[in-house]
Amino acid sequence: MPRLTDKARYWMLVLPALAIMIIFYILPVLGIWEISVTEPDFGFGNYVKMTESNAVKTSFILTFRVAAITTIGCLLLGYIVAYTISNFASRLTPLMVALVLLPFWVSVLIRSFSWIVLLGRSGLVNDTLRDVGLITSPLRLMHNETGVLIAMIHVMLPFAVLPMLANMRGISRSYTDAARGLGASEWTAFRSVYFPQTLPGVFSGALLVFVLSLGFFVTPALLGGGRVLMISEYITYQIQEFLAWGLGSALSVALLIATALVLLVAARFVNLKSALLERH
Amino acid sequence: MTETTDFEAKADIAEIAVERYKQGLLTRRGFIAAMGALGILPALGAKAMANTKEIIVVNWGGAAKDILQEVMCDTYTKETGIKVTVDGSGPSAGKIRAMVESGAVVWDLCDSGAGSAIILEQQGVTQAIDYSIVDKSKVLDGGIYNNGVANYVYSYVLASNPKLLGGNVPQSWVDVWNTKDFPGMRTFRKSVRGMLESATMSMGVAPKDVYEALGTDDGIKAAIDRFRQLREHVIVWGSGSDSQNLFLQEEVTMGNIWSTRAHLLKDQMDKDSFTVTFNGGVVAPGIWVVPKNNPVGTEEVMKFIAHAQTPELQVQWLEKIGCGPANPAAAALVPADFQSWNPSSPENLATQIMYNDAWYAKNQIAAEELYVDALIN
Repeated sequence: MPRLTDKARYWMLVLPALAIMIIFYILPVLGIWEISVTEPDFGFGNYVKMTESNAVKTSFILTFRVAAITTIGCLLLGYIVAYTISNFASRLTPLMVALVLLPFWVSVLIRSFSWIVLLGRSGLVNDTLRDVGLITSPLRLMHNETGVLIAMIHVMLPFAVLPMLANMRGISRSYTDAARGLGASEWTAFRSVYFPQTLPGVFSGALLVFVLSLGFFVTPALLGGGRVLMISEYITYQIQEFLAWGLGSALSVALLIATALVLLVAARFVNLKSALLERH
Repeated sequence: MTETTDFEAKADIAEIAVERYKQGLLTRRGFIAAMGALGILPALGAKAMANTKEIIVVNWGGAAKDILQEVMCDTYTKETGIKVTVDGSGPSAGKIRAMVESGAVVWDLCDSGAGSAIILEQQGVTQAIDYSIVDKSKVLDGGIYNNGVANYVYSYVLASNPKLLGGNVPQSWVDVWNTKDFPGMRTFRKSVRGMLESATMSMGVAPKDVYEALGTDDGIKAAIDRFRQLREHVIVWGSGSDSQNLFLQEEVTMGNIWSTRAHLLKDQMDKDSFTVTFNGGVVAPGIWVVPKNNPVGTEEVMKFIAHAQTPELQVQWLEKIGCGPANPAAAALVPADFQSWNPSSPENLATQIMYNDAWYAKNQIAAEELYVDALIN
C-alpha cells in the first residue's frame, strides 16, 4: 500500500468539513446568485432596478452609516474597557471579563427587547429622568436612529472588547516602564509606546464590528420604527412581503460584494491574516 | 404572479386566538388541537381522512381554527350529520394551485382572500360558487365573486388614545395629519396595503372617490407625499401584535390598525385611553374558495357555505375573535355593546370603503417601493 503524502492526509482531514461547507453553504449561496439573474426574467433586470431605486440607495447609505457609527462607538467604549481590564483591575479581571462575556451570550433578540423596555416613552430611562426632574416630556430615544445605535453599540461591544483585550494582554509593561524611565510623561508613553502596539487589536475589533453590523437585522427592525431600514431588513421585505425573490437575491449579492470590498480595502491597511486569524 | 392577499391578517387572527387562550377565553383542548395542526403537516392527516362524506375546511391555523370548528362546523354536523373538519395549515394560493394541478385535492373549502380568489380563478383552479345554494343577498357588497364569496370581514381603522391627547380625539384621517392640534406619534402598517387609502382621504378626498384618485400616478405620488410630510411622526407596525404593543406602551397616540386588534385592545386598555372610529376605514373580506375536483363534491360544500351564512353564527364569530359578519342581516343581532366594534355594521359600513384588490394587483409593488422611500429617505 502506497504511503499517503502529508498533503494528501491533510486534505483527507479537511474533506468532510469542506463537503459540508459546499453542500450547505456554497451551493445555496450560488442558488441565490442564480435567482438574482433568472427571476422574474433572465438577465440583469433586478440589478438595474436596484440601482434605479431611491429606497435601495438610501437603505445602503443608512446601513453603512449605522455600521460606521456603531464601529466608532464600540471602539471608543471598548478600548476603555479593554484597557482598564488589562492594566488596572488585576484582582477584578475575571469578574470584568465575565461582565463582558455574559451579555455576549444572551440572544440579540432579548437584548434588543430589553432596550425597548429601557428606552420607551414610559421606559426606565425616561421615567427616571422625569422623576429626577431633568425633563418634563419624554425624550424620543427609540423608533429612530438613536435607539438603533444605542442598542447596536451594546450588542456589538463584546466583539470590539475581546480582540482588543487579547491584544493588550500580550503587551509587556516593560515597554511603557522603559519609556517612563527615560523621562516620558504618562501621556507620551501611552501615545507613542503603548497605543501603537494596540492597533492590531483595534483594527480586528473594528473589522469584526463593522462587517457584522452591515448584516444586522433584528435590532434595527425592533428599534428603528420602520425608518431605519437596513439593507438586510429590506431583503426580507422583498422576499417575504412581495415575493420578489429576484430583487431580494440581487440585493443580497450586492451586500455580499459590498462587504467583500470593505475587507479588500481594509486589507490594504491591515494585515488581515494577523488581525483576524493569529492572536498575539 | 404577485400575491396581494392579506395573509398576515389571517395569520394575525390565529395569533389573536393565542392571546384569547392566554386570557382563558378559549379551552385548553381546542388550543392544543390547533397548535398540533400548526406543528405538523395537517394535509397528510387530512388526506387519510378525506372521504366523500367529510368536508375539509382549511383556514390559517392557531385557535381561529378551533373557533371555526366550534361555531360553524360542529353546528353543521349537528344539523346534518355530516362531519366537518378544520385544517389550519394555511391555504395559500400557491398550495391550492399545487394541489389542484397535481390532481391530489384533499381540501374542500379554503379561507382565501379576494386577490387570491381572482388569481386562482384566472388560473382555472377554483370552482364557481353556486349562487342557487349560496344566497347572494346574505353577502355584503364587494364580497361576491364568480369563484369566491365573503365569509367574514375585517377592516383597517383609526384608533387613538384620548388620554394622551388631552381628550382631543382625531375623527378622521385629516386630523391624523394635523400634528399641531393632535401631537404625538402615529402608527401605520409597514406595507402600503390599507394605508394609501388613509393618506388619500387625509387630503379631503371623499371615501367613495379614493381608488379613483389613486388610479393615476399623480394620485399615488400625492398619497405617498402625505407620508413623507408625516414621516417624523410615524412608527410602523410589522405584525398585528406590534400595533397592539405600540398602543399598550403608549408609544403612539393614534394609528391605523386592524379592527381585530382594536377589538383586543379595547379589553386591555383603560376605557378612557382607547377609542376607535370606523370613519374612513378600509373593509377587507375573507373569501371562501372551492378547489376544483374537491373530494366531497360541489353541492355538499356549497351547502356548508350556505350554513356558514347563518347570522347567529356569524355574530358568535365576531364575539369570539373579532371577525365582522359577512351577512348584513347579522348586524341587527349583534349585542348593543358590540355594535360599535363591528366592522360590518351598517353605521360602520356607511363610513368605510371596500378594499380594492384589483387596484393592489396592479399597483402594489410600485407603490410599496415609493412608500418605503418616503418613510426612510
